[in-house]
Amino acid sequence: MSARMIIAGVLLLGLATPAFAQADLQSRLAAYKQRVQLLEDQDAIENLQATYGYYFDKGLWGQAAALFTRTGSFEYGQRGVYIGPARIQKAMLLFGPEGLAAGYLNVHMMLQPYIVVAPDGKTATARWQGMMQLSRPGANGVWGVGITNADYVKEGTVWKIAKEHFYVTAQTDYDQGFTKSALPIEGPSALFPPDAPPTEQYRSFPGAYIPPFNFDHPVTGKPLKDIPEPVDTVTGRGVK
Amino acid sequence: MKTHALIAALLCAVATPAFAEPSASDKLDALDKRITRLEDANQIERLQRLYGYFVDKGQWTQLSELFADDATLEIGGKGLFLGKKRVLEYMQTAFGPDGAREGGLANHMQFQPIADVSDDGKTGWIRSRAWVMSSGGWGLPLYEDEFVKENGVWKFKRESGPFTMYTSWDGWGKNALNNTWPDKFNPAPDLPPSTIYLTYPAYYIIPFHYPNPVTGKVFKPDMDEVGAYAAPPGTKLQEQWHKTGRLADGSQPIYTPPKD
Repeated sequence: MSARMIIAGVLLLGLATPAFAQADLQSRLAAYKQRVQLLEDQDAIENLQATYGYYFDKGLWGQAAALFTRTGSFEYGQRGVYIGPARIQKAMLLFGPEGLAAGYLNVHMMLQPYIVVAPDGKTATARWQGMMQLSRPGANGVWGVGITNADYVKEGTVWKIAKEHFYVTAQTDYDQGFTKSALPIEGPSALFPPDAPPTEQYRSFPGAYIPPFNFDHPVTGKPLKDIPEPVDTVTGRGVK
Repeated sequence: MKTHALIAALLCAVATPAFAEPSASDKLDALDKRITRLEDANQIERLQRLYGYFVDKGQWTQLSELFADDATLEIGGKGLFLGKKRVLEYMQTAFGPDGAREGGLANHMQFQPIADVSDDGKTGWIRSRAWVMSSGGWGLPLYEDEFVKENGVWKFKRESGPFTMYTSWDGWGKNALNNTWPDKFNPAPDLPPSTIYLTYPAYYIIPFHYPNPVTGKVFKPDMDEVGAYAAPPGTKLQEQWHKTGRLADGSQPIYTPPKD
């Protein structure tokens, strides 16, 4: 449903209705237009992140980086933060050559979206989760799972990624599984050092970590960002 | 398409005498209802997804806050828990205190939702699946849940989560875990299971809350095929067991699509 059609409706109703009822009809339509706009925005953001995922899966780094704002940031696991499309494109080379190559699999499914568009329709946040299916030449396949916390900004009429923060929850050898194998995640690269260190310090499984919830509880209305982090006996977080 | 129809209707309103058509205000009411339906379905999908995010990280208190005070919960073959407090008690007793723990992975990802809202906008349903990826193995629960809108806020009213399949990391080709049952672990349920069934390699399908969207016909699973197994198929004893323990029909309310 497009907002333009709603506006067409406003104009048409204007022709058919007595003047004294105009103000009420106009304000109702304005409110409905806003509600439809927010639904359309959410839909656009869902498509944006899914598109990002499809590009990232196939090593289309140029396409993926083009989805970010000029000051957009990309942070993957404990690799640190890269800022701006050019630097982001460089960072993505750490996952394989542009367009990948034989023996590569870089699937990061973008699923389970929880998108919140700000009431003014200019910014939004989302949480996503999905499986990873990874492979590098000469290495065994890897199963993984991770969470994305993302921020979006609407520039003109186009939604862009302002922050893409992917948290690796767990990675394991394909044949062994999480019962027998837990693969650690990588730190900042020596090849292409990040623009800033990791914003949060954590270990993937067998470590436990809760990427901060970037929205409020829908029933209680209370913030979820302060949920206590699990104890980490390696980093000492939360150890008494 | 629906929007085009709406615009066409508005055009007709301009072209025809007022007495032959609903007023502009009535049409706005109808439009409001349709927007609200989209918002409601969206909110229901989000609740189901957030339920999954809370399970992942053992956030039982936050999870229980998604439930109405008089909500019910039934997972696997464990039986029914009545009320929000018992939902919390079930989670904290069965799975430990709030919080994620080192060495544990219990991802309960929520995919493939089909959300519907009743014509009066007060009741909602979802059919949704969970993909469990855990340190113990794989799992496939299915959800057929009911939601209620209380003071403008959607909450779980009834959660029904029968299992399709659970296996260790050996994989479902070699291993299949039993369904749960009332006394398998604490706490005991308030009521016995509404339906007795077995998981893979046996077969059970929870009724759909909606009719086939193309034929409009309701699909009714054959309830005689889904009971507990205690004797060879085709024997009198097994026939009896098919019906034994089925204290209540697990069928869901069927959603009636809106008629514009």
